[in-house]
Amino acid sequence: MGSNSIPELLPGTLYLLILRTLSRGPLHGYAIVKRIKDASREGLQIEDGSLYPALNRMLVKGWLTSEWGVSENHRKARFYRLTPQGRKQLDQEAGEFDRLVRAIQLVMRTA
Amino acid sequence: MAFWNEIGSRVTYLFRRSRFDRELQEEIRLHIQARADELELAGLSGADALLRARREFGSTLRTREETRSAWQIRWLEDLGSDLRFAARALWRNLTLTLAAVGSLALGIGANTTIFSVAREALFSEPSCRDAKSLVQISVSGNTWVPMSQYRLLQDAHAFDGLAGMNIQMVANWRDGSRSYRLAGTRVTGNFFEVVGIPVAMGRPIERGESDVAVITHGFWTKHLGGDPNVVGRTLALDGKPYTVVGVLPRDHRMLAGFGFTPDLYLTKDSGEVMLYARLPRGMTRQAAYARFKPICRELDRVYPDVNRKWAQEIRLSAVGGVERLQEEGQFAIPLVAFFAMLVIVTGIVMLIACANVSSLLLARAFTRSREFAIRMSLGGSRSRLVRQLLAESLLLALLGTVAGLLLNLWLTRLLSGLHIPTPLPIELLIQPDRVLLVYSVGIAFVVTLATGLVPALKGTGAGIGGALKEGGRQAGPAGYTLRNALVVGQLAVSILLLSAGLLFIRNLMYATSFNAGFDTTHTVTAIFQTVGGSYTPRKFAALVDTALARLRALPGVEAASPASAVPLNPFLAFNRPGGQFRPDAGSRTVRVEYNSNSVGPDYFRIMGIPIQQGRAFLDSDRVGAPEVVILNENMARRLFGNTNPVGHVLRFPDNRDARVVGIARNSKYVTLGEENALALYAPFSQQNYAVFAHFFVRTRGAPETMVRNVDQTLGDLDPAAAVETWDMRDIFAGALLPSRVGAAILGSMALFGLMLASIGLYGVLLYAIQQRIREIGIRVALGATPGNILAMVTGQSLRLVTAGVGIGLAVAVVAVRPLSMFLVPEVRPADPMNFVAVAGVLSLVAGLATVAPTARALRVDPAVALRHE
Repeated sequence: MGSNSIPELLPGTLYLLILRTLSRGPLHGYAIVKRIKDASREGLQIEDGSLYPALNRMLVKGWLTSEWGVSENHRKARFYRLTPQGRKQLDQEAGEFDRLVRAIQLVMRTA
Repeated sequence: MAFWNEIGSRVTYLFRRSRFDRELQEEIRLHIQARADELELAGLSGADALLRARREFGSTLRTREETRSAWQIRWLEDLGSDLRFAARALWRNLTLTLAAVGSLALGIGANTTIFSVAREALFSEPSCRDAKSLVQISVSGNTWVPMSQYRLLQDAHAFDGLAGMNIQMVANWRDGSRSYRLAGTRVTGNFFEVVGIPVAMGRPIERGESDVAVITHGFWTKHLGGDPNVVGRTLALDGKPYTVVGVLPRDHRMLAGFGFTPDLYLTKDSGEVMLYARLPRGMTRQAAYARFKPICRELDRVYPDVNRKWAQEIRLSAVGGVERLQEEGQFAIPLVAFFAMLVIVTGIVMLIACANVSSLLLARAFTRSREFAIRMSLGGSRSRLVRQLLAESLLLALLGTVAGLLLNLWLTRLLSGLHIPTPLPIELLIQPDRVLLVYSVGIAFVVTLATGLVPALKGTGAGIGGALKEGGRQAGPAGYTLRNALVVGQLAVSILLLSAGLLFIRNLMYATSFNAGFDTTHTVTAIFQTVGGSYTPRKFAALVDTALARLRALPGVEAASPASAVPLNPFLAFNRPGGQFRPDAGSRTVRVEYNSNSVGPDYFRIMGIPIQQGRAFLDSDRVGAPEVVILNENMARRLFGNTNPVGHVLRFPDNRDARVVGIARNSKYVTLGEENALALYAPFSQQNYAVFAHFFVRTRGAPETMVRNVDQTLGDLDPAAAVETWDMRDIFAGALLPSRVGAAILGSMALFGLMLASIGLYGVLLYAIQQRIREIGIRVALGATPGNILAMVTGQSLRLVTAGVGIGLAVAVVAVRPLSMFLVPEVRPADPMNFVAVAGVLSLVAGLATVAPTARALRVDPAVALRHE
């Protein structure tokens, strides 16, 4: 499953980014990409091709639900929403990620 | 939890795939549109914006494919498409498919039916509450104890409950002007409560009750017409009125097991019982034993008895399943062995059928090897191809198993309703259950692998290059070798089956020819049982004399005689007393165990047993006259060696003396399988019988016409007495049953196996010739004579048959040895004639299977064959 992750991203961080992005409220696919791009000041670019497989794997796992709605510019769009289970997953992964980053930084500064 | 949610959403997906696809496509389109809108705002023209957005997104096809795969249960969908593909392939070859499924179904049906019957007869759980905490108890090495002992044990309160049961009771039921013998099981008042037997209608027998009965479903429907108001009805049993209080359910299975089904349960207050105890909750049998043993010791102290010590050989044994079988060892081993043999034989037939199917699939796999090579060269993985080929055999196996199970259901239903011709009330109630299902699934799995694995592995094993170069026309040597090996195996196994089948058929022929030492073709036999206590021995003797006089007066009757036992009927049979005899009342003792029968003067004439020396009994051998006996030849030789014992005195173990007046020829007594059995006859009128007699009547004409007359005559003597009258040949049906069943099953299985093996041989030969048509054409063109071609084809057949027969005979000679336990001693498994006959039959059938392929080879026209593709 990991074979489809973006090269620029650390493996597994795609889920984390999507979960975090959706934690402020439901968004549709294109908005997720845009939000991540903006938030990272264009530092992170999610490939459109890998977004939907990732979203659907998260649907299967029960972290997200989806429903059709109308977007800000009045087009039909499918909105993804975090489930309680997804929120739990986000807390857990965010914690793990922080620890990992801190550990790597420690090594980079001191070793 | 999360795992199951995930499975759940994946399964839901399976059913909504097309909607999902539509929505995904729409979502992607909207995504691209949103990007295009943005680009357009940034200044691009509409068309350029859309084009760029599309380019940025990349391949929508790939995205859709990858997104779908997030939801798919990959192997399940693959399996689905494999099965669909396999179904189409099988449908195209409908005849072959039907033949394969049919032969698998027969094998599986036979095998699962034997399995079902064996499970019901041997391993069924009795109908009771919590069989695990119920035990059967024996004290002083005996499962039977007198009621007085039962009461003492019950008062000791060692268990949560202790109940007694006696299955060996016969009750005379007076219905209108006739009386019938019923198989009654007598139980103590607390029996139903302690054992916890469910009742379908009314209520069980309760503590402290007497003269009440609970009837079985079979008795209720067959003898009482399923009367809905039967509860409360009175039955006259042994001259006393009993009130029916309940009816048992149809699936009642008795504690005694082995399909034993009495007509009714009655209350009991005297005689002997078998003990059943309910252990307190959670108590193991070891703990119960430890608690019970001191109680028995105490009873030994309080009620000393020189003959039996309570505390000796105490046993607490299970009442159901495998454990009971282990404890019934002696009785159960032959039964278990018999069923095991049948399961093995039917299993072998199943494997022969599998070999045919496997051979067929192998041939197809090789003809498709070009297709496989192309698919592999295009990147298809070999495991994928193997799975696809296995799907075909899985489908065949499933179809075969389902059809086999239908056959099983039909057969077991037939068997469940069947009255098994034994005087014991045996009824099997076979119902399909989960165990059968699990067993069948196991079989389907085995069949799948047995039929499919070799073809799948070998068929896809040829390298890409090889298969493409050869043009897929040749099957390659590996294919031939394997199919040849399969055929040789089939032939060898057929030899084994045929040997076993032939033995059983000879056994049946021997048994039905009644070379049992006596003649039953003109004999009518009756059981005559009076109500206990209604006659003194003297009055009973007078009754028997009257009966004989009236029977002899019937037209068509040649002779009549009373007897205490009926030969070859283990249930109406001989006592088997034993002890130290003193020939000539001397000091030399001989320990013997023998079959004892008390008979009238005409018994030997009626049964056609010649008196070799001395005389038969006379009317003057009565109570008061000197005691006399007749020995069979075996018994005479054992006691007196080579001296003629006629006129000698024999002292019995209880110090009675009797004079030997005659020697009767040896015959069979209890089973057809016994060898060198000893027998001693005493005059019926020198015994003090008061309740029970058999009558043997020799008729001039066909015995079946006399059954009614004899029955009527005896019934008129004492309307309270139960009379059952049979044509003697029918009584023997019970003794012949194992031989019949064995011969029928093994005979048919052997024939079926032979048929399958010959079809296998035929198929392989024909296929080989089709593969070699070009070669044959070239040979003919180069001058080969029809004789050469004939030699070529028959040579191949001959090699296969020789190998199969050789291996088969070598295995069979050893493998049929243990069958002797099921056969009369006169049919010997090692008899070389058996093997000669079997090899002959197989060779003949193999020869027939070779004819058509040979004819095909001879018809090859070189002009056509050389163009053959």
